[in-house]
Amino acid sequence: VPKHPSSGKYAIVGLGVIAGHQPDRSERIVGAEAARLAIEDAGLTRKDIGGAIDLRRSGGGGDRASYVDAYSRVLGLKNNFYYITGRGGALAGLGIATAQSFLDRGVADYVCLMGAVSDWSQAQESKKQGHRGMAHAEKRGYWGKSLGDLRAVSHHSWMAARHMAVYGTTSKQLGAISVAQRAWAQLNPEAFMYGRPMTIEDHQNSPLIAEPYHLLDISLVSDGAIAFILTTAERAKDLPKKPVYVLGLGFGEVSAELWWEKKNFTHMAVAPAKEQAFGQAGITVKDVDCAQFYDCFTAEVLFQTEDYGFCKKGEGGAFMEAGNIGPGGTIPVNTSGGLLSCYHLGDLTGMAESVRQIRGDCGTRQIQDCDIVITTGHGGELVSPGMCSIHTCTVLGRNP
Amino acid sequence: VSTQSNVITVSTEWKKSWPNIDEDNSKFYDGLKEHKLLVWRCTKCGSSYWPVAYCQKCDHNEAFAGQMRWEQASGRGKLFAFNRHYMAFSSAYKDEVPYCYAIIELDEGPLISSTIIGDKQPKDVYDVGQTVEVVYEDHPKEGFTLPRFRIVG
Repeated sequence: VPKHPSSGKYAIVGLGVIAGHQPDRSERIVGAEAARLAIEDAGLTRKDIGGAIDLRRSGGGGDRASYVDAYSRVLGLKNNFYYITGRGGALAGLGIATAQSFLDRGVADYVCLMGAVSDWSQAQESKKQGHRGMAHAEKRGYWGKSLGDLRAVSHHSWMAARHMAVYGTTSKQLGAISVAQRAWAQLNPEAFMYGRPMTIEDHQNSPLIAEPYHLLDISLVSDGAIAFILTTAERAKDLPKKPVYVLGLGFGEVSAELWWEKKNFTHMAVAPAKEQAFGQAGITVKDVDCAQFYDCFTAEVLFQTEDYGFCKKGEGGAFMEAGNIGPGGTIPVNTSGGLLSCYHLGDLTGMAESVRQIRGDCGTRQIQDCDIVITTGHGGELVSPGMCSIHTCTVLGRNP
Repeated sequence: VSTQSNVITVSTEWKKSWPNIDEDNSKFYDGLKEHKLLVWRCTKCGSSYWPVAYCQKCDHNEAFAGQMRWEQASGRGKLFAFNRHYMAFSSAYKDEVPYCYAIIELDEGPLISSTIIGDKQPKDVYDVGQTVEVVYEDHPKEGFTLPRFRIVG
């Protein structure tokens, strides 16, 4: 497959991560600090940063974790643009796509992209004040809150349920995903679940939240921020860190079919995103050394593993049970522990891990000869019974 | 709470989230109050939607989807998928868990979600495809009606 002219022309050259609960810090300063670390990691200073992008989930109607301020103001980034993008858990791919056009036109030489989350701290605050976080009326355009659709798990669990009903997938097979990712987290000192291994029995014995989902099918509630610096491949050559090249960027969208296309409950919008991203990069699924799949719940990992073709549709359950995505498996997935076991900073969790795997910074969990990594994002408006509709695929590589 | 056929009347105060009744769906909620389940139908090609949308099948739509109408549906469908909520995410649901929250594939095509009420409940997650029928849950004090479903076959 011939590569797209823009493939390998841009690179991530700096990474900043703030992980773990941040009870005494604002989301704004945590975000600014991640950006400071990313700029430093790139061997740059604030004055080099021509533009800043804030990656926020609020575009997806997930009305948490929003704040009024610009991290570029807090940090003192004097630049040509600052704006907010993102849609639920789809952040990094959208941010990179837009940052590239600013670099292309010379609006900026280096762009800083940052996403911050304070879900854990906000939940603590909310508890202290005696709130249960329930608004009096559901949001405009939302369906189901008055009927008991109260959390993401209220409708996301249908994806697991439908896949089970159609293909005979079992709760234990979903649990194998949690177990595999928890095993990865044992190799990552930064992971929230580091030092806390789990077994399939732990998964099965964890409380049912919204059957078929147990507690251990559900991602973490986290604080933190991740920032990265994007520039042209040309400029990247002169910087201290080994460039992580953007080889492909793909997008899929099914919002126009949410209430009518029944396939959306057993598939994600992977097909077009994969075709675009893999086509641009000139790769096939066999070239992928590890995958950082968006994993708000276990079924999303199952769907994507099938949709990308690591196994056949409907055979994902057995594939998981056989241990294919964990350490030593055929296709390492969510090698940091992912949203399930590392921390939930949207798809930036996966993006940071991808950068580290390509750089070779992953210690005992490092994938040998890691040349190609895919990172996916997933999100959308909360419009039950429709599911999050966007899928993004970013292919990063060690070589341009 | 009193029950007669496919109508339930709830006279206790509503302590949960209120339904979002807006410009797009007020007629749908009016229909529920009259114990009719409405779907959004294209008068040109006959395809049905829920909630409001421009016709996906017709190449040409009139301004503001003017060729679309709310029309009464059969009120029947099939259980497509469901979950069972064991955790009450709000105190108003404390006495209600566990409850079955389901996607219904209406006979007219669209998917809609609500709870499955009544003694007849799906036995496990694999137990789908049963015929379900709408039950109208009237809240006369608050002035709205919510659609629930029950398994009839």
